[in-house]
This record gives sequence, C-alpha cells and structure tokens, in this order.
Amino acid sequence: MRRNSIIHLAKAALADFSRNKVRTALTSLGIMIGVLSVVLLIALGLGLKNYIEGQFESMGANLIMILPGSGFTGEGGGGFGGQGTVGGVSFDERDVASLMRVSELDYVVPIFMKGTSIEAGAEKKFGYLMGMNEEGFKLMNVEAEFGELFGKSDVTSGSKIGVLGNVIAGKLFGTAGDAIGRTVRFESQRFKVIGVAEKKGDNEADNAFFVPYKTTFGSINPDKKFWGIYLGVKSDDMVADAKKKAEEALLKRYDKDDFAVTEQSELLNSINQIFGIINAVLIAIGSISLVVGGIGIMNIMYATVTERTKEVGIRRAVGATEKDILLQFLTESLILSLFGGLLGLILASVIVLIVRIFFPASINLFSVVITLLISSGIGIFFGVFPARRAAKLPPIEAIRYE
Amino acid sequence: MISLKHVTKSYYLGDDEVKAVRDISLTIKEKEFIGILGSSGSGKSTLMHIIGLLETPTSGKVLLEGKDVSKLSDNELSRTRNRTVGFVFQSFNLINRFTVLENVLLPINYSKERPIHDPVAKAEELLKRFGIYERRNFFPNKISGGQQQRVAIARALIMSPKIILADEPTGNLDSVTGDEIIKILSSLNKDFGVTVILVTHEHDIAAKTKRQIYIKDGEVVEKYL
Repeated sequence: MRRNSIIHLAKAALADFSRNKVRTALTSLGIMIGVLSVVLLIALGLGLKNYIEGQFESMGANLIMILPGSGFTGEGGGGFGGQGTVGGVSFDERDVASLMRVSELDYVVPIFMKGTSIEAGAEKKFGYLMGMNEEGFKLMNVEAEFGELFGKSDVTSGSKIGVLGNVIAGKLFGTAGDAIGRTVRFESQRFKVIGVAEKKGDNEADNAFFVPYKTTFGSINPDKKFWGIYLGVKSDDMVADAKKKAEEALLKRYDKDDFAVTEQSELLNSINQIFGIINAVLIAIGSISLVVGGIGIMNIMYATVTERTKEVGIRRAVGATEKDILLQFLTESLILSLFGGLLGLILASVIVLIVRIFFPASINLFSVVITLLISSGIGIFFGVFPARRAAKLPPIEAIRYE
Repeated sequence: MISLKHVTKSYYLGDDEVKAVRDISLTIKEKEFIGILGSSGSGKSTLMHIIGLLETPTSGKVLLEGKDVSKLSDNELSRTRNRTVGFVFQSFNLINRFTVLENVLLPINYSKERPIHDPVAKAEELLKRFGIYERRNFFPNKISGGQQQRVAIARALIMSPKIILADEPTGNLDSVTGDEIIKILSSLNKDFGVTVILVTHEHDIAAKTKRQIYIKDGEVVEKYL
C-alpha cells in the first residue's frame, strides 16, 4: 500500500472522529474501562505477589522447613501463631539433635510459638511468644535496635530473658527503647527484656517476644515440644542433599506422613502457582468488560457503515476495491480501540502510582504490551464484521442510498 | 474503444425476472461525444453502469480497448474504473466531510501506481480551469450546485481517464448552469480528446452531442419517440 493511502485512511478516520466527538469518546470509554480493569487487576496481582515474596525473602535464603503433617501445602500445616501442632507429630529436642548431625546444615532452629497476652505493668497486649535458639535471629534476619540479642549460653541455661519485637515493645512501654531492663509477664512467668528488635514490617515478628526455647519448658510448654524446625543450609547447591538427609534422619522415628520437609523455594513456587491462578481468574473477569467495550465498537461501526453507505458507493465508483473499503473501516475501529486502550493505560498508571504509596502494585512492560495488543485485537475483531458489510455493499446500490 | 456485444442485464424482483437491458450491441469509438437518450426506466442507467464497469452483464460481452472486461473480478474492475473511467453524477456525489480539494484527490488514493508526479498541483490546475480554485478548502455543502458539479468533473479528470461517463449531469441544475456544465464536457471532448458519454432524458441536451443512441425498454431503438 502506498504511503499517501495510509495517510488518507488515518485522516479519513480522524476527520470522522472530530465530527462525532461525543460518539467517539463514548465508544472509546467502553474499551478504556475494560483496559483499566485488566491492567489494574494485573498490577494488584503483581503487588500481592511482590508483597508475599518480600515476606519470604526477609526470612533468608536456603531455608528448609520441617512441619508436622503435610506442612504448608496440605491440611496439617498450621499458620504462624498456631497453638502447638495440628495433626501429625510434635518435634522435640531429640529431633533437633539428630538434625544437627546433617553436615550440610549451617544451623537448626526449633520453634515453639504461642499467641497470647503479654503484660508489662498495667499494660496487657496480644503478642506471640517465640521459643527458639540464638540462631533463630539469623533465620529471621532480626537485629537488635536497643540492647542485645540472647546467645547460646542463655539458651542452654534457660535464662528468663527475652527480646521484644519493636511494635509490641512500643505498645507496652510507650517507647521501644524504654523496654530494656524491664520485666514482662507471660502466663504468670516473669522475663527480663534484654533487647528490642529492629522494626521488620511483619506483624508476627514485630509483635513477638523471642525467648530461649528451654525457658518455655515447664508450665508454658510442659511436653517440651516444638511447632516446627527450620534448617539453614550452608549453600544453594546443598539444599537438595540436606533435605534428603533431614528426611532420612526423621524417618527413623516417624512415618512419612507425619511430617513434611519443604524448601522455601518450593513454598514460593506453590504460592506463585496459586497467585497465577487467582490472577488469571481476575483477568478473565476483567476481560468481560473488554468484550463489552468491543461490542460497543462493533455497534457504532455498524451505525457508521450505514451512515456512510453513499460514501462507500462513491469510493467504489472512483476505484476503491472491496479490500480498500474493508481497510478504511478497520482502521477506524482500530484507532477507536487503541485510543480507548491508551486512555485506560494512562488512567491505570496514575491509579497505580497512587496505590504504590500503600501497596507494592506495579505495571510491567508485559501488561503494557499485552494491553495494547488486546485492544488492537478487539478493534480488529469487532471491526471486521461491520467493515465486511461495507466492503460487500454493491457499488450501485450504495451510491443510490440516501 | 468500447464495444457491447449482445449484452443483457436482468434482475429478480421476487420471482419475476426484470430485463433492464435486452440484447444491446453497440460500439463507441475513441474521442466520441455521444448521447444516450431514454426516459426514466428505459434501462439507460443500467447501460451506463455496465459501460462504466460498475455492474457486470448477465450475458453478453463488454470489450474495453479490445479486452473482455465482462468476466473480470471485482478487484480488476475497480482498478480499471480507477484508471479508465471518470464518473459525473446527477447528484454530484461528493463526500461532504472532505474539502473540495480532497474530493478531487479521492481517486488518487486508490491508484496502485503513481499516476502523476504531483497530484495536488494537478488538482489545483483543474480547479483553476473550472473557476473554483478559490473554493478549494470549502466543504461541498457550502458551495452551489454548479460549483459542486465542476468539482465532480475535476475529480473525474484527476486520473486522466479515457472515458467520462456523465449520468444526467444537469438534472439538479438550472438551465444556465446546466448549459455551462455541458459546455465543459463538450470542451473536454473537443480540446482534450476525452471520450464523453452523456446519459440524459432531455432531447435538447442530447442534441449537443455528436451522436445519439436511443434506448427504450432496454433496447436500442432507431428513433426516440
């Protein structure tokens, strides 16, 4: 096709749009809303994924989790803050000892967790008691903002000391720093606060009270059981071996179904899979509005074809082929839907920029490209039927049409 | 230049076959100025559409410069119309959302090869020749009927066609303006050697052509009654 024919096509379309501004705007509005909803849903889905991945990454890499039952992926896995174990077995110090013999492991962290109220003076706040060893701080990337963390000797001796999460320390003592050296009560036991952790942005970590696990043995944890055991592997390439050896060690005592050994990457994969499905469903729902927008374009294009029947006849008389007429109307519906798509994209970007203040939503190149492709696809798909009708008009009948 | 051989065109109205053109054979030579005369419903318009390649005959042959064009595809017919034929209609048939100049240039958009070096210059020259250059940026509905018909003639000439087909070109004009249009068509034939085919139902208009063909009930007759 010659260059000036393309210019003529675009010019003809634009001339018509400027003559029917309201109609053009309303028609594009349908596509705009469709694109807006699809792009926003993708952006929010990505944001949710970013958020969850961020939460996992804060727990360090090369992580293996040993949980009772079938772990996170099935029924038995409890969430954080669960009361002891749900189904399966409870681990004890013997398991910790046997896991420590796996040479690929850097550290082994048994975790006892209990959600209940923590008191200081007259204040009483809900928090999570986390019984663990000194390596647990490494596992959760927890650093002390005030005071210090407890060490290995505190764990072995079962000292009645602990480290408060940043948020709960503030709630109990007014300012987090004031907690150092003070006493908190937990199920009628008294603990001395030796440190306050840096703020993590994670609800459980910020409202936790970290204590040496041995200290919980007694009235708080009479069975001396753990909710789960976390393993830090020395390096990436050892994760598979470490996982296998940890499984073998536990199989000596338990049945295969009693516990689950999960790599963090596996967990991330299954979470990503779940979000992939949720995202696809959301996009499918959003796409309904795109289809509605496309039908709007088709409707208007049919009206345009009827309105311009005579023009089609004139163009055919001076030498336009059926293909020329088809292209003319396709160009129009394409421009209409691309225009709506661009508007939707711009509006979605503005909304995402605002939402980002609260939530890591994001628009990636993929969603931009896919949006423009989809809106041009819709323009062409829904434009083809009216354009074909125009192209197939018999020239003589068209030119006589009034 | 154009030969029709036993051309018939029939339509179906419901189950009834209507023959608009019955077994017409005629030849129009190059550089002729010819009038096709007939009352309304005589089939003269259908005949013109067949000559102008806007319709194909039900049976018979149409030869254009010796080539049979009655079996050409829609695509080829469009191309041939674009290159060879210029139409002038009774109701002008300009596109109102384009300016006068853009209307004149319309056929250029459908020409596959580059027919003239500078189409805009040629269009402006044509508009000047017909005295409507000052109106080039007007929209057709803002100029008079006579001016609109001159724009239509300029559009018909932009591709330098061999044939101009004028279908009742004076039908919507007063007699003075109509005479001017006929003069323009006549000069195209006389001064530029374009074959002009003028379709009309008015004797005095047809009388200005060099040869007349009379059509009645879809057939060529000796004398128009």
